[in-house]
Formats: sequence, structure tokens, C-alpha cells
Amino acid sequence: MTGTPSLLPSFDSVSHPDDIGRLADLLVEAGLETLELSNQDGSRLFIRVSQPQSVQDERPSSSLHTGTPTHVHDTTVSVKTPYFGLLSYTHPLREEPFAPVGSTVQRSDVVALLTLETLQIPVLAGADGEVMEVTAQAGALVGFGTEIMKIRPISI
Amino acid sequence: MSTERRFGRVLIANRGEIALRIQRACRQLGLETVAVYSEADADSRHVHEADIALCIGAPAASRSYLDPEGLLLAARMTGATAIHPGYGFLSENADFADAVEAAGLTFVGPTGDSIRMMGDKITAKRTMQAAGVPCVPGSDGSLPAATDEILALAETVGFPVIVKASGGGGGRGMRVVHHATDLAEAVALTAKEAQQAFGNPTLYLERFMQKPRHIEIQVLCDTHGNALWLGARDCSLQRRHQKILEEAPAPGIDPATIAEIGERCAEACRRIGYRGAGTFEFLYEDGVFAFIEMNTRVQVEHPVTEQITDIDIVAEQLRIAQGEPLRVRQEDIAFRGHAIECRLNAEDAFTFLPSPGTVTRWDLPGGPGIRIDTHVVAGYTIQPYYDSLIGKIISYGATREEAIARLRVALAEMNVEGVSTNIRLHEDLLADPHIQEGGMDIHFLERWLEERTAS
Repeated sequence: MTGTPSLLPSFDSVSHPDDIGRLADLLVEAGLETLELSNQDGSRLFIRVSQPQSVQDERPSSSLHTGTPTHVHDTTVSVKTPYFGLLSYTHPLREEPFAPVGSTVQRSDVVALLTLETLQIPVLAGADGEVMEVTAQAGALVGFGTEIMKIRPISI
Repeated sequence: MSTERRFGRVLIANRGEIALRIQRACRQLGLETVAVYSEADADSRHVHEADIALCIGAPAASRSYLDPEGLLLAARMTGATAIHPGYGFLSENADFADAVEAAGLTFVGPTGDSIRMMGDKITAKRTMQAAGVPCVPGSDGSLPAATDEILALAETVGFPVIVKASGGGGGRGMRVVHHATDLAEAVALTAKEAQQAFGNPTLYLERFMQKPRHIEIQVLCDTHGNALWLGARDCSLQRRHQKILEEAPAPGIDPATIAEIGERCAEACRRIGYRGAGTFEFLYEDGVFAFIEMNTRVQVEHPVTEQITDIDIVAEQLRIAQGEPLRVRQEDIAFRGHAIECRLNAEDAFTFLPSPGTVTRWDLPGGPGIRIDTHVVAGYTIQPYYDSLIGKIISYGATREEAIARLRVALAEMNVEGVSTNIRLHEDLLADPHIQEGGMDIHFLERWLEERTAS
């Protein structure tokens, strides 16, 4: 996976809790649940993290809990793909989409995944806001820089 | 053949006019195309017309056209099983050619080993010498370490000499030395530059030919041991080692001489098991040919050869990659008429400053013997990220005079607005009696430009 090997500490020193914590954070960020590392001696490290059940559960809509947003932009912000790949709005092990229309997301939340063979690349929200529209077709091969979602930014 | 073909879908790992040229050849052979493009090229003509188009990265070439992993992933994601690299970018990258084949795909070009052999100028020259291709007198391999040995070598070769980086190319990493007293310093400086620019300080040395012409031989080789030479091109009109106008055949050189050199080039290809299209570049002075390098790809100027031989070089590249034997034999190739190509660049005709921007008017010439290879259409925006080539006008005539006459009419008809082009430069060049006569040396254009600036 591009760039990932450098993120992983050497396996022999991975037992430090800070390293495991850092890996767990990376997994959450990438929308992944488990990571398994093993070496020739048979040592094995297994990390399982709990992903938010859905974006809506995790971050209730602003109207319910934070009142009217102080500022709503007229224009929407496009979420664009950082690479090319097969587009999926849903985690492969879940049924609920990462960020369905009407949900609110925070900047850098995972809103979709691009799959290239065994590689998965998260697509991140570029702004805090409400998902207004999903603009690309799930399952399609999308190019770099494709708009896949429109978000109405909300400044809270 | 269709049931036996190795690939049915070709990924074109390039942009601009050559991407469109490759796409045309694929279509003609019933092959599907995948256009991979950078964000800056989304509006390119070949992208719109491709069977599958996929944006693979940001405008910077390193993030798109020069990204080997991205290109391979794109091929697999789109089901393309062959990659045509065009010219420039990764076309002469041996590691990329190897990676494509290692992934089980077909590289439309020679093997990585052939590219590597020709990429190293010393190995290339040794190989060519062994195959009987004439080379310029010089060091047989890399320079010795001792200064007095280098000096003795240079004296044997004869001053002036040119010191070149083994890993160099495109006019970089070279220095001309006229006197023995300047040799040691020139060698030290060039080695330092070569280390910085190419990561390899190895140098070699050759006689510096004072007023040579640039003559090149096109070859086509299949995977069944057949190698053809398709005549010569004269590409002597260059500015800063960039060709600007090319023609075929080479004026004033006896066809029998070309045939002899051509046959030696073809024989060299057979010996090294070369595959695909290639070009042997020579300096030519006073009847002497001196091999410079071999380009292991299709050249920008390939159309002039196509015009005089009636052989579609790009289609042949694809057929060869399919594993088909060449259908033409050497004795079938007839060289008819004369062809000249003008490279159209989006740049100022006098200052040569690049002129990116939107083309608001694009009126193309026509008529007998005029061929235009371009990706530009009216409304197209020329990007600042890539080279400034926006197209090529290729003129064909029964004689060189007719080809020039048609070309001058074509240039006068061409009307481009929105960006600056070098059309005026070509018009002025073709009006020059020396150029009308033919046989210019490679320094002609630089001198001509100096005189133009002075007057």
C-alpha cells in the first residue's frame, strides 16, 4: 500500500503501546477495522479497532444538538478523489454508507473508499458540513480529481 | 490473426499529438484504447475519443505520465493488456518496460535490456562498432583516470574533441575542447556535472565534428528475426539540440550510401535481437557517418518516413508487439518523393518564449500532399506543464521543391489566434535560399537566428 510501509514501525519494536495506539488511529482514519502483522518466528500482532457505527450516529445533525449553524454558505464544497480507483461509499464490512445524503461530516472524515486491487485509499471530506448530494456512481472506476460528493459547509 | 492476438486493448501512456496518433493506429487495427491523462489534459481530443478514459493524477508529469506504478495500476483497472509509451516520458525507461512485461502486459517497444543497452552511450557505441555501424573516432569506452592518458587519447583522436557524459543525452553533460591545454579542466567539470545531473560521472570522448549534418536511419524489427531499414531523415535544423524541421530523404546523399548504412543498422538490430521501431542517429560530414545514439522508440519526426515509404510505423509497432512477422520485405520498400515536417510550437517565433493559453482560432491548411498531426482544436487550452509542441505539418511532394512549395502555401494558410506560434519562423526559414538548396549543418539554425537578431 503506497506510503504505508513507512508508517509502520519495525515489527520488533511494535509492542510499545504508543506505537499500537498510533496504528489504531491510522486504521480508524482509513476506515479499516483490523490489522494483522506476523513475522517468520511466528510472532503475531493483531489490532482491532471499533469504527463509528455510522457518521450519523457519531455526529448528530446540527439542528438537533447544536442549534442553527451560525453561518451557512450558499455554495457547496466538492469532495474530490485523491487517486483513481473503484468507488465505494460504504465500508466493505458494513451496510451503512460512510456519509449518506443528509448526514453531517467533519473535515477529514472518511466519506468513501477507492479500491485498486488490494489497495484501498480513503476519500476524505474537505470541510465540516452536511452531505447534500452524492455525485458519482458507486462501483464505478473513477479518475483522479473526480467530484464524488457535494458538502454544504457549516461553520459552527 | 485476430483470434491469436496478444492484446485487444491498449493503454496509451502519453499525451498530445502522439497520443492521438497512437489512438488512430489502434483503431485502424481494431484495438480498443485507454487514454490515461493528467488533470490538465481532461479536454484533450484523444481523451474524448478513447474507448476508456481515466484521469490518473495531477498535472505534474511525475504525478501522471511519469508515474510507473500509477500507469500499471491504470492498465490493470481498465483491462488494458498492452502499453504504448509514445515518445518522451517513460518511452525509454528500461525499468518501466521490464515492469510492464513482469506484470504480464505487453510493452509496445523493445525489451528493457535493449533500452538499457542503448541508454548507456558507451555500451551502445561498442555494440554498434561490433556490428559494423560506423562510429566517430573516440575513446573506446570510458575515459582513463590519469590525465596524461586522457591527453594521449585526445591527441590520437584529434582536436577538437567533445567530452560527454555516458549517462547523458538531449545535449546535456557535454563540453567541446579545442586545445590540449584546456582538456584536464573540461574533463573535471564535465564529470562533476555528470555526477550531479545523472548520478554517474563516467565520461567518454570523441572527435568533435565541426559542421556535421544530423542524419538518422529508421528501423523496424519484428520478433521473428526480420529487420528493415526505412531510409534516412535529415534533422539538421536544430536549436539547442531540439529539432525543428525534418525531411526525408536526406538531400544530396547518394541513396546507395544510405542503403549501405541502413543495412548495417538492420544487421545490428538482428544481432542484438532488437524489437519494434528504432532510430539510429548519425553525424554526417564529408561523406563520413558517425553513430551518435539509438533511440528506442517512435520519433516525433516519424511521419516524413511514413510519407515516402507508405509504411504506417505506429501500426507496425502494434503489429510487432502482437507477435506478427513484418509483412514487408526490404526489397519491397520503395522510397518515393520527398517529405518535410515543420514542428509547430506554442512559442514566440523570435524569442522562443513558451506561449501557453487558449487557442481561439485554429484554421488548418489542406490540399494535396499536406498532412497535419495535431491534438489541438479551436478552444483548446495549451497547458504550461508540458513541452510546447502543438502539432506538425507534414508536406509531401514528388520532389523536394514541390514539398517546399506546398509547405509554404500550407504555412501561409494556417491561422492561429490566442497563442503565439513559430509558424512565422518556419515561413522565414523556408524562404531562405540555403534551406531551399538543402544540406544544412546542425549549426545552421543557430547562426541563422543570430544573423536575424543582428539585422
